[in-house]
Amino acid sequence: MTKARVEAHGIAVRYGRTVVLRDINLAVEPGEFFALLGPSGSGKSTLLRLVAGFVEAHAGRLLIGGVDVSGVPPWRRDVGMVFQNYALWPHMTVRENVAFGLEERRLPAPAVADKVRAALGLVNLLDYAERRPSQLSGGQQQRVALARTIAVEPKVLLLDEPLSNLDAKLRIRMREELRALQRKLGITTIFVTHDQEEAMTTADRIAVMDQGVIQQVGTAAQIFDEPSNRFVASFVGSVNLLPADSLLAQDLRLAQHPRTADVVIRPHTIAIARAPGDPGRRWVAGTVADREFLGALIRYAVTVGESRLIAEAPHRVGGESHRVGDVVYIGLDPAQARLLNSSVGGEP
Amino acid sequence: MRGYTPGQLAAAALIAAFLLAFLAVPVATVVYVAFAEPGGGFTLSHFATFFELALMRESFWNSLYVAAASVVFASLIAVPLAYFTVRFRFHGALIIQTLGVLPLIMPPFVGAVAMQLIFGRSGSVNLLLGEWFGIGLPIMEGLNGVIFVEALHYFPFILMNLVVAMGNIDASMEESAQNLGASGWRLFRRIVFPLAMPGYVAGASLVFVKVFDDLGTPLVLNVTNMLAPQAYLRITSVGIEDPIGYVIGVLLIGFSLFALWAAALALRGRDYATLQRGGSSLAMRALKPWQAAAAYAWIALVLLLVLSPHLGILLLSLGTVWSFSVVPDGFTLQHYATVFQDSPRMIGNTLAYCGLAALIDVVLATAIAYLILRTRLPLRGSLDLVASAALAIPGVVLAIGYLRTFRGVEIPFSGELVTSSWLLIVIAYSIRRLPYALRSCMAALTQLHVSLEEAAENLGATKRRTLQRIVVPLMMGGILAGFVTSFMTAAVELSATIMLTTSQSLAPMSYGIYLYMQSAAGRGPGAALGVLAVAIVALGTHLSHRFMRSRAVDLDRQL
Repeated sequence: MTKARVEAHGIAVRYGRTVVLRDINLAVEPGEFFALLGPSGSGKSTLLRLVAGFVEAHAGRLLIGGVDVSGVPPWRRDVGMVFQNYALWPHMTVRENVAFGLEERRLPAPAVADKVRAALGLVNLLDYAERRPSQLSGGQQQRVALARTIAVEPKVLLLDEPLSNLDAKLRIRMREELRALQRKLGITTIFVTHDQEEAMTTADRIAVMDQGVIQQVGTAAQIFDEPSNRFVASFVGSVNLLPADSLLAQDLRLAQHPRTADVVIRPHTIAIARAPGDPGRRWVAGTVADREFLGALIRYAVTVGESRLIAEAPHRVGGESHRVGDVVYIGLDPAQARLLNSSVGGEP
Repeated sequence: MRGYTPGQLAAAALIAAFLLAFLAVPVATVVYVAFAEPGGGFTLSHFATFFELALMRESFWNSLYVAAASVVFASLIAVPLAYFTVRFRFHGALIIQTLGVLPLIMPPFVGAVAMQLIFGRSGSVNLLLGEWFGIGLPIMEGLNGVIFVEALHYFPFILMNLVVAMGNIDASMEESAQNLGASGWRLFRRIVFPLAMPGYVAGASLVFVKVFDDLGTPLVLNVTNMLAPQAYLRITSVGIEDPIGYVIGVLLIGFSLFALWAAALALRGRDYATLQRGGSSLAMRALKPWQAAAAYAWIALVLLLVLSPHLGILLLSLGTVWSFSVVPDGFTLQHYATVFQDSPRMIGNTLAYCGLAALIDVVLATAIAYLILRTRLPLRGSLDLVASAALAIPGVVLAIGYLRTFRGVEIPFSGELVTSSWLLIVIAYSIRRLPYALRSCMAALTQLHVSLEEAAENLGATKRRTLQRIVVPLMMGGILAGFVTSFMTAAVELSATIMLTTSQSLAPMSYGIYLYMQSAAGRGPGAALGVLAVAIVALGTHLSHRFMRSRAVDLDRQL
């Protein structure tokens, strides 16, 4: 299977007056597992459909394997797409579904049969070849859709929220299978999801999108630890955002450039105790305003002066626990605080 | 992005040309003649002449009265039936389903003669009433007869629309009203009926239009002081030049359009798709014994009325002489023999014309549905609009338009006149039935998720290959249902047929039935031919329901 590089240069897409994508610049490396992560309406699916050829750009260039594909119709792009609802044809058996792309490529019948068998073998569905899609479970349908796409050995594999129709347990298993299959085939893969956990666990790199703009591109750790703006910080994981000129931030000497910046502190890095502890942290008194018991964690909302901070403390049987109204100390670790330049990105 | 291919553009152009030549131009011709002075130039004088004639004024009011009264009577039958089905848990549901179909498979002009024999002045019912109580009911006298026959024939339009609309009401709508203190009649009047209103209005407006435009029923009942029969009589007796026929045509179109427009206006923004995803429809209640008795009695009465034309026509076709008696004097198969001897040609003609027309319909409908739902062709919406506009064009008017527009036009090479060939009959059928086939195909394509086609394109299939391997096979249920609907409704079409049929050898069954029914001696064979027509339509209905059902099952499985 050939590995292709996918590049977008200054891509813009509009539907009427609505701007769906603006100035998209992106390079997906050959063989990379790349995730497009964003809320609904962020343009991530549009970008995927653009690569597949179902949407055309008003500006910019899209290169697949170094070739500009603008104007190339979907049926000549050689990129395989797995649809969110699988789009299996109900009037064909599993075998006929998988054979479709090969037949359209005018392969001789024996070659078609071989490749169908190989593709179904890869997803462990050889025994189901003569069934109709309606006779399969959700997970099996998803594997047929995958087999149908990889059977034609596309240059790029596109996955549109492929796990969203599965139940929680199956989703985790399919996620692992998908990752293993991608490693085995080494095919360049672009994966659309709104689930940050899915993106972080499967993808080599992630592009976080919002309002038609790519907000940040990086590995899971990079976008979690070094978010480039408010949106990325709050979309990926939970977060405390303090205006750098707030009294609390000043008090704690967390900000060097007041006014232009925000301070990002992840709740799980904040300690909460009845009395100040570890001297490496800056401790400040507050009142517990709310608490949520999450099992592994207890999440506290603590009022400190005018600010409200979220702190997450690991929970153990018999461990320290605080009630609403208790006066507590929260300890912030300056090394875990990040400064955001709020003039960049975020709300446009 | 251009959003369409040259092939799609060419297809759209061909369809537009067909609709222009056989729908827009003929109708425009009718309108033009109605407003044109003999030398050209605009005039209202034909309309003035029309309203100066007492017969015309009378016909005008009669048509309005009959259409409105038919809607009222059809509602009286349909609303309780719809309410029973949706509201109560009882065994009548299947009967009501059947009631929704039975009348429609019997064209009203076929049933009309039988109704005359059963409910007429010297019909079975009045003979019995006279014998027992010394009274008579003028059910079939003049306009009453037309209203009675039409209401019994067309009430399923209201019934079916209302059942669907009430079935779509989310139970939570009713429950929240009950929670706030509403119950019984007030609950029905303030919540249930208003929510079902769109279905009722849609059905009622259709009944109005159908009755207003119907030519066959009044003609067979010998009621000529209505608009459609007058148009027919003027054109066939006075001639194709007589402007009064065209004025009537314009009035028929005008009122049809007005009724459909008023319905659309009344419904705008009110088509609350009330059934929530995962919601359940209105709770079914068990009937109390006296309620069950009342419901069954009502259903039995309606069933009896609905079945009377079927029963009557069957008796007529098997009876020797049926006059001034409750049932025929004796029974025979002679009429069927006569029909098969005299007019096998008519049966063949019907099969050929209707098959061809239905084929044209599904090809056009599939293409239009695809162009509208799957391309970005400019003006694609107008194809739907024009094709659906055929609904508002009465058969009489279309036929008058054809006779005038294609007057003197010869078929290339043969030299035969277009107006005296079977060609126009087939085209008139296909134009008039296109809206039904189109709805069927549009529904089938709307239910197909576009990703099924995108998946094919993504795997290397071109637009044409995708159409061939994915779209058409998956639409096949809808296409077949459209074919059957077109075929069977065309088989019993009379109003255009009667005007476009120029010779016995070219006549289809519907024309044959009408001819036979003109004489007392012909009634038997006419009824036999009618039974055959009903059998064809019944078979078609059965087949189309089967296609639709298997289609629904497929789609259920798909997601």
